[in-house]
Amino acid sequence: MAKVGLHLDEETVEKYSMSKLSSRKVVEAEKHLLVCEACQKAVADSDAYVAAMKKAAAGVRKSEEKQKPRRRVAGK
Amino acid sequence: MNSPADVPAEGVETQPWASIVQRIQANEPSGMEELYKVFTTGIRFHLCRQLGPQDLDDRVHDAFLTIAQSIRRGDLREPERLMGYVRTVVRRQVAGYIGIAMSARRTLVDPDHAILRDRKPDPERKAIEEQNNELAMRVLNTLPLRDREVLVRFYLQEQSPSQICRDMRLTATQFRLTKSRAKARFTELGLARFSRRHGFQAAAPERRREASPVS
Repeated sequence: MAKVGLHLDEETVEKYSMSKLSSRKVVEAEKHLLVCEACQKAVADSDAYVAAMKKAAAGVRKSEEKQKPRRRVAGK
Repeated sequence: MNSPADVPAEGVETQPWASIVQRIQANEPSGMEELYKVFTTGIRFHLCRQLGPQDLDDRVHDAFLTIAQSIRRGDLREPERLMGYVRTVVRRQVAGYIGIAMSARRTLVDPDHAILRDRKPDPERKAIEEQNNELAMRVLNTLPLRDREVLVRFYLQEQSPSQICRDMRLTATQFRLTKSRAKARFTELGLARFSRRHGFQAAAPERRREASPVS
């Protein structure tokens, strides 16, 4: 019998979604994901959350930039 | 949002890889059946995550075919490495499809060899993504400015937690709490929307998992 590994913790799931895991940890995580539906679901949820936050954060930054007072050009 | 860390680790069974490999090598149908049973959802998950839902059934079938042929040829010398071997085959397959897609894209600009593909996004998927984006925006807009800045730095600018903590004078715990509160709020808003749409107030824990707003 071969062990198929422990479940991925929340931090690992998020790092995997954000492509921030080390190569060695990616191998371990992906092997586990081949056989664990609970972790597949967690990664799918995390992928969607990270993508949504990224997009919303970009929107926030954009509106912040717009609201910044424009600098006056010296001498004018 | 449910975390697999909540599920006991012993929930994942150990697998008799050697037995599966031996049966496939001996052309016993039970070997392939077992291989399908163990790996179908995982292979589907990886292929769909990397390549999208288009042609997914065919791609999964191709992956199993490649794995079975390789095992029969004796390419897998250590049966206990079956899981790593399956992962390698799937990764190679993904790389292969990406290579094909890239050369097809190059062909697209050549009118003599033009290939017209259906590039319309899946409407259901698109609607879910839009809802998630809207929820995320609501979460960010209701947060104190400082918390919002933490999340923007982390998710958009992809700054490391240590850099964010250093720049914003936060402890690691404060950083984690900011993230987890936002995630909890996102899930809460998604569940509230799901409940309104389906006409019930409080979902049972099991239903809540199904109703997760992000997948």
